[in-house]
Amino acid sequence: MNNKPSAYNNRLGLKGWMYAGRYSFERYLYLGHRLSGLGLLAYMVLHIVETANRIRGEEAWAELMALFASPPFRVIEYLLFVMAVFHAMNGVRLILVELGFFLGKPKEPVYPYSTSVLRHRSLTYIIMVLAGLLMLLGSSSMFFK
Amino acid sequence: MRETRLWSLHILAIPIIAVLLGMHFAIMHYAPVFYGMSVEEARAFDTMIERGKSVAQFVIYILLLIAGLYHGLYGLRGILRELPLTPALVKVVDIGILIFGLLIFALGAYVTWWTFNAPLGG
Repeated sequence: MNNKPSAYNNRLGLKGWMYAGRYSFERYLYLGHRLSGLGLLAYMVLHIVETANRIRGEEAWAELMALFASPPFRVIEYLLFVMAVFHAMNGVRLILVELGFFLGKPKEPVYPYSTSVLRHRSLTYIIMVLAGLLMLLGSSSMFFK
Repeated sequence: MRETRLWSLHILAIPIIAVLLGMHFAIMHYAPVFYGMSVEEARAFDTMIERGKSVAQFVIYILLLIAGLYHGLYGLRGILRELPLTPALVKVVDIGILIFGLLIFALGAYVTWWTFNAPLGG
């Protein structure tokens, strides 16, 4: 019998992304941060490849720009904007949390203990509301010209 | 120590991306506000070539390429390394991402350089 543990066998892998445990809201923000990050990375790579099209000349470039001006691409562009805003705002939250801001005054560790996640909860809500407002503002400039 | 350095660079890339991407957005998407021209004009071939000939633009795009690709690919590396991989596969992920990043950077840098040297008027 082979009892040798495989490397990193204590990790949940993709299942760990979905299991929120007791950190519910923040856990889903974590999932959203990852998915938006992957989406933005995929876009960045496509954007670099797509803008390389300029080497093929003015006509090829104009065709590409006409394609991007079509309604489906406007929607995709807005989704990218939403992902970028969410990723950036949640990133700001993560930096503030990581650096220990907005934790409040230290308290005696008396049961029931409060976690730092709960102490940051109002900050989380404020940042997400701001993100929502930015997304709405972006939609007005993109769709109602 | 190496991982700390890589993570620190990942964090350091954030303000660089924020500033340079902000400038990129201002030029490309908010041209009517900042440059008094329509988005279509800002994206036109001749305007793009003319803009790409500026040294400042060249530097901005190369730095944005480096910071954006590093930040994104480091994030992807972190996600992939959390999967239950064997140490050999972790190495494959590391090297694969490095090679992919270098190739995409080479393409982006070449296009930026090409624009910098392209003759005006097509």
